Amino acid sequence: MGKQLFRYSEDNKAKFLESDNITFNDGSVVTPEEIWDYLTVEGPVKYPGTYEINLSQGNRDSRDETLPTSLKTHYLSLTFSARMEKAKKNGKTIAFIQGGQAVDPYTAADTIALRPFLVGQWYHGREHGNDIYKSVLRRKQSKETAFHDMSFEACQTGGYEHVQVGDLPIDVVAPYTVLRCSDVSYGVEAHRHGPNKDVKLINVDFPMRHQADKPWAIEYFARNLKKLVKTLDEARGKKTTEDDLWRAIRLHNEGRRLGTELADLWWSTDIPPTNSDDRNSLVALANLDMHGDVQASLSVLKEAKKIIAERVKNGVKGHAVTDNPKRLFILGSCVGINESRSEDAGAIVVGKDDQWSHCTSLVEEEGDPYYNLAKATLEYPYEQSIEKRAQWTIEQIRKSRADGVIFIHNWGCNTQAAVSRPIVDFIKRETGIPTYIHERDLHGLRDEQEQNRVNAFIEML
Amino acid sequence: MTISGNYFAGVDVGSLAAKSVILKDGEIFATGLVQSGVNSVESGLNALNLALETAGLKKEDLTYIVGTGYGRVSAPYANKAVTEITCHAKGTNYLHPTVRTIIDMGGQDCKAIRIDPDGAVVDFAMNDKCAAGTGRFLEVMAGVFKVKLEDLGSIALSATDTVPMSSTCTVFAESETISLVARGEKPENILNGIHHSIANRIAGLFSRVGIESDVFFSGGVAKNSGMKTAIEQALKVSIVKPEIDPQLIGALGAAVIARNFAKKEGLWV
Ligand code: SF4
Repeated sequence: MGKQLFRYSEDNKAKFLESDNITFNDGSVVTPEEIWDYLTVEGPVKYPGTYEINLSQGNRDSRDETLPTSLKTHYLSLTFSARMEKAKKNGKTIAFIQGGQAVDPYTAADTIALRPFLVGQWYHGREHGNDIYKSVLRRKQSKETAFHDMSFEACQTGGYEHVQVGDLPIDVVAPYTVLRCSDVSYGVEAHRHGPNKDVKLINVDFPMRHQADKPWAIEYFARNLKKLVKTLDEARGKKTTEDDLWRAIRLHNEGRRLGTELADLWWSTDIPPTNSDDRNSLVALANLDMHGDVQASLSVLKEAKKIIAERVKNGVKGHAVTDNPKRLFILGSCVGINESRSEDAGAIVVGKDDQWSHCTSLVEEEGDPYYNLAKATLEYPYEQSIEKRAQWTIEQIRKSRADGVIFIHNWGCNTQAAVSRPIVDFIKRETGIPTYIHERDLHGLRDEQEQNRVNAFIEML
Repeated sequence: MTISGNYFAGVDVGSLAAKSVILKDGEIFATGLVQSGVNSVESGLNALNLALETAGLKKEDLTYIVGTGYGRVSAPYANKAVTEITCHAKGTNYLHPTVRTIIDMGGQDCKAIRIDPDGAVVDFAMNDKCAAGTGRFLEVMAGVFKVKLEDLGSIALSATDTVPMSSTCTVFAESETISLVARGEKPENILNGIHHSIANRIAGLFSRVGIESDVFFSGGVAKNSGMKTAIEQALKVSIVKPEIDPQLIGALGAAVIARNFAKKEGLWV
């Protein structure tokens, strides 16, 4: 049976062409015409899988085509692999990162910082013409390599295996050994003992939790950040100045401010102005690291904020949002629920804690930039004690008017697994909101069982 | 034959069995239970057809059908799909309105469900990553002892002792059982230990959601008397005696929900 593919409708083209350009780090610009062409001609040929209408992938037969920024984030995802190849050819330094950090120091050192998910996206985007089935097989193959090179017990292995095999030109492995992430230690050890030691490793040591009020801890971490920048400088053969770091901090603060304003606008109305997927892909732009190009993320984010404000003013409801959906707040690292399937079951995702935590943490713009950055990082609400993290989460839950909370963590994500129970218990006790904990099994191979539990929770709400 | 009344069906396709219940207005009219095959659409239809045949009805006579269980996502014959957690709650409430806590043990998972007086779920927990505490686990153990699955419970109840079973995984438990047999432990005492170890794992689920009387045991494993006794001991409760085959509770709940949907959508007044 032939695959059913989604197509962008020509009906929305004229309106889309009136929308803004995307401006990239290197100053280049793509126009809405070029984006439209790519999404309707080149994209479906190169990446038919992302156009496939497939229940388990949560695809719909139509997306929110009247939301131009939704098309633009799709464009940025589809062009990601090619853009990384081009950046590399133009001599850009690329770092593999992990640990949930903000990427200000990498931006300052003119380095593209890629999390495991993006490293995988780069690798898999190199091959064209795959349907979903073939893409999944290919990803499983990468996993097998990771089991061999790294560990069966780590969850987000994507990245290290490509560094080991040497099939992606990553210049430096530069994670934060933050406590939230137990995978970092697997990756760092695998790299230390692996075959591709030419790729430099810098381990940014994040002091133990609950030290944000201790000057020694801030100073210690600031020194680590300096070491990180020095390593990136060695990789690219150029020095990063304090001014560079200030510029990066201001740029990222702008993203963080826009992101929080956008989320506040979204939360300010009872009618969800976008569906869950669009909400998350727009709010996620705030950290400017989602598409390997901080300026491109910023330009889409600016436009998104204008559009959301307009939608809120006019009471526009997001595409495929049901009437009076049950509002879910999702907790935990690196995973989320299948948003469109959960919408079909009558819910909407109104927030997540993970990356949102550092989106809400602005870096002070006066003083010592390394110290300020270290201080802001140590203050991430997500990295605090269970009680502090839960209290901050409750604030977000209240602001977003969530009806229910799901804590989802990967199998093998040891810290999140350990804190999930006390955190949801605290939230339940303080707010009375129903909560549910779900452990995603090894690499998410049991979609159906997971959705069954999520749907039961939605029905319960 | 003239068909009078309104008929609502629930079809529950699980990993081991497919079940169906037809309600006539408010009463249970017919049921069907078949083994699940690899094709879940076919399994569901077989169970539904069996109930239709017993009732002397055609599919067109049904006002509304709700599908549940793992096969619910591919149930083209159903008007709506609802998870089996909600269905077990509704089905139990329909038969036993005083029940507030349900243990559901099916072929591939085990659930602890708390409900309110209307049969709405207020909390639930499920075993996430292990076959222990499921029908599949007991099936493996029946295979080890070469006895019929339905005889496991009564064999366990004839035990004079309880041999503790420490493995948390079906595969390890199988080899632990084999080594216990080799050490000369009596099969009934080992089986008793197995039932108690499963019951202890189920008790663990209740540490998350709590227990309130009355307590009901649904699902295919609820037919195992040894399991029922072990759970009663582990949870220090007595379990309400089921009015129908406890394996049909999910399908019954789906039929009750079908009736509610039909009412809501103006198909039944
Ligand atoms: S899921 Fe947990 S352990 Fe895995 S990469 Fe994310 S934070 Fe790290």
